[in-house]
Amino acid sequence: MTVIFHVDLDAFYASVEQVDHPEYRGKPVIIGALPGTRGVVSACSYEARKFGVRSAMPISQAYRKCPSAIFLRVRMQRYQEVSCKIMELFEKYTPEVYQISIDEAFLDMTGTERLFGSPLDAARRIKEEVKEKTGLTISIGIAGNRYLAKLASDYKKPDGLYMVKEGEEEAFLDNLQVKDLWGVGKKTLERLEDLNIRSIPQLRQFSEALLKSIFGKAGGAYLYRAVRGIDPGIFRQEPGSHSISHEITFEADTRDREVIKKCLLELTHQVMFRMIKDCYRGKTVFLKLRYSDFTTITVQTTLRHFVNSAEELYSMAMQLLEKRWDRIRPIRLLGTGVSSLERADTPRQHELFEDEYDKKKKVEEAVYNIRRKMPGNIVIKASLLKKRED
Amino acid sequence: MKFLCEKNNLLKEITIAYDIIASRNVLSILSNVLLEAGDGILTVRATDLKVGFESRIPVEVIEPGKTTVFCDKMLGILRSLPEEEIEFAEVENNLLIHPKNSMRIDFKLRCVSPDNFPELKETPEENFFKLPQIDFIEMINQTIFAVSEDESRYFMNGVYMEKKDNGLVMVATDGRRLSYINKSFESKIKEFKGIIIPPKILNLAKRLLPGEGEVSVAITEKSLFLNFNSIKISSNLIDGQFPNYNKVIQGEQPNRIVISRTELMEALRRVSLFVEQKAKRIYMTISENTVVLNSEESEIGTAREELSCNFEGTETTLALNYLYLEEPLKVMEEDEVTITFSAPDKAVTIYPVPEKDFFHIVMPMQL
Repeated sequence: MTVIFHVDLDAFYASVEQVDHPEYRGKPVIIGALPGTRGVVSACSYEARKFGVRSAMPISQAYRKCPSAIFLRVRMQRYQEVSCKIMELFEKYTPEVYQISIDEAFLDMTGTERLFGSPLDAARRIKEEVKEKTGLTISIGIAGNRYLAKLASDYKKPDGLYMVKEGEEEAFLDNLQVKDLWGVGKKTLERLEDLNIRSIPQLRQFSEALLKSIFGKAGGAYLYRAVRGIDPGIFRQEPGSHSISHEITFEADTRDREVIKKCLLELTHQVMFRMIKDCYRGKTVFLKLRYSDFTTITVQTTLRHFVNSAEELYSMAMQLLEKRWDRIRPIRLLGTGVSSLERADTPRQHELFEDEYDKKKKVEEAVYNIRRKMPGNIVIKASLLKKRED
Repeated sequence: MKFLCEKNNLLKEITIAYDIIASRNVLSILSNVLLEAGDGILTVRATDLKVGFESRIPVEVIEPGKTTVFCDKMLGILRSLPEEEIEFAEVENNLLIHPKNSMRIDFKLRCVSPDNFPELKETPEENFFKLPQIDFIEMINQTIFAVSEDESRYFMNGVYMEKKDNGLVMVATDGRRLSYINKSFESKIKEFKGIIIPPKILNLAKRLLPGEGEVSVAITEKSLFLNFNSIKISSNLIDGQFPNYNKVIQGEQPNRIVISRTELMEALRRVSLFVEQKAKRIYMTISENTVVLNSEESEIGTAREELSCNFEGTETTLALNYLYLEEPLKVMEEDEVTITFSAPDKAVTIYPVPEKDFFHIVMPMQL
C-alpha cells in the first residue's frame, strides 16, 4: 500500500523569526512590510492570526487589526536556508521527497516500515528531529495519496499529526467542510451554495455525469474524485516543475514607466541570481501584474532555449509587459519569474556560435560570486544605483 | 468541365496537393485544390500561401473548365475508387465523380469558384538557371537534417544557399552542429545574394525530383522557384540574417580518426539504447587504434562497444549528442569517414573518405 506524507512547516516565516529572536516568542509577528508602507502580509504567527490577520492582507489592514504586532521585512535568504536544512533532513527518511514550496513537501514513505516502523512512528520521529535540529514545529498528514495527505496535514494544524486509514477515506472527508476541499474556490463554492449543497456527503450523492454538466468536464470529474478521496491529481507536478519568482508591491500604485522598468530590472536580477545559486534553469518566463482594483493577470512565454542571463530574462519580461499593459492602468504589484525549472547540472551542449547573452551570463556569475563572498549590494547595475543622501 | 483520367495518375498529384495544404477547414479556399482542364492537360494547383505547387498531367478533356474542390475529400474519394479510368464532370456547382464503366458508384463533391483561389507566384523564364537534379538532391540530403526547429531562432529554420564562384553552397545549422556542401557546376549560375530556404519546399523537391535530367532554379528577393518535368513549385524565403558559418569551419585539426562508417553507425545504435534520452550524451574514448563508445552509468545498466580505427593524435575522451553523430553518418554513402578535432570542448568535423565536397561539424557536450 502506498504511504504518502504531506509535511507542512507551521507558520514558517514567522516561526523562523521566533526561533531566531526569542524575544518575539508568544507575540504576534507579521512579516511582509513595515506599517506605513505599502505591501501585503507574507506570513504571520499564530498569535497574529488570533487578531484576524491573514496572509495576502494589506499591511495597513493588518496594522488596524493588530497594532501591537511585531512587523518585519521578509528575510527570504534565511527562510531558504532553514527550508533547505529541513528538506535535507527528510531525505534521510526517503529518497522520494517532492518539495512543492518553501514550506511544504510530499514524502513517499511506501515500504519504509522495516526501517522506521509504522507510518505514525516514522512521522513522530521526523517531527521530533525537525524540532530538535531547528526548533520548528511541523504538521504531517498521512494517507494513501497526495490529495488526502494534504487535507490530513491541515486537519490538526499546528504541530499536528493525522493519518487517514485505508477504508476510512470517506469518513475522514465527512468531517470536513466543502470549502476545505482542495481546488474548491470561491466560484465553485458559490455555485454549490446556489444548488443548496452544503456538505460533502450531499455532494457525494451526485453522479459524475451530473457534476460534469454543472461544473464542466474537468471540474466535474475533479469534484467527483475529490469527495471520494481519490486523488484528482493537482499535486502531480514533478520536482523539477516548480518556479522561482520575485514580486514587489509598490509604495503607491504607479504607471511611471521608468519606475516599473527599474523594478522589473531588479526583480529579474534577483530571480536570475537565485536560479544560479540554486542551480536551476528554465525556459518559461512569466510576468504578474496586479492593478489598483486588485485584478491580477499572469502572462507567460516559453523559449526554446534556457533563459541565459538576467538581461535576457529582463528583455522577455519587458516584452510581456509591453504586450499586456496598456500604460494607463496603475500597477499595484509587479512580479516576474521563471517556471518549468530543471536542474542546471544536466549535461550541457556547447554552442557553435557565441550567444550575445553568453557573455552577459558570465558577468552575472562573477557578480554573484562577489555578492556571495561580500553580502550587501556591493556590485549592482549602474541603473539600479540610488543617489546617496547627503 | 469534364475529363477522363486514370485513378492512379490523379491520386499521385492530389496526394502531393494534400501534403502542401496546411488548412483543413472546409470553409477556407486554401483547403481546396484547383483543377483546370484544357488542351488535353489537367493542371492541379495547391498552396498554403507560402509554398505553391502546380502539376500538369495529360488527361482526356471532354469539356474544358476550371474549379476548386475540398482536397481532403477529393483524396478520400480517389483512394477509395477502383483502379480504372474515372470520369470527372462539373454539373451545377458539383463535381460528379464515378468510374467510367460503372454508374453504380457515384460521388458528388461540392465545387467552389476558382475566382478567390490565390494566384501562384511566377517569375519570368529568363530568371532561371539549370542544375543537374542529382546534384541538387545531394545538396539537400547533406544539409536538411541539420536545420533548427527552434522557432525563436527563425533564421536557422531553413537551409542557407549562396553562390560561390560558379557553384552553390548549402549550409544548415541548429547552432550546435552544422552541415556544409559546396558543388560547382558547368552551366552558368545566375548571381544572387544568400537566401534561407524553408525546409518544406526542399523536402518536396527531394520527394518529387526523379533524379534524372535537370531542375530549373530561379531566385528572387522573396521567393525560390523550382521547375522540373511538368511540375512547378515555389516557396517564400526566410527573411533574416544567417549566422556567419565561415567562422566555425575548422582549419587543420591535429587529431584524426579514420573509421568504418557502417560499423560506427551500428555501434551508435547499440550503445544509444542505454543513453539517457533527454541529453543524448554518449562518450567516445579514443586511443591508439581503438574507439570505445559507452553510455553513462544509470540505474538500468550500461552499454559499451569497442571499434578499431586508425588514429593519429593524443588520447582523448569526447562527449557528444549521439544523434549529431548518427545523422550525418546516415546521409553519407562512403565506406569510411574521417573525424577530426582539436580539443574535447572544440568542434568536431566529419568528412567522407576520400574527401568530397561536403562535411559536417558537431559541437561536443560537457564531459
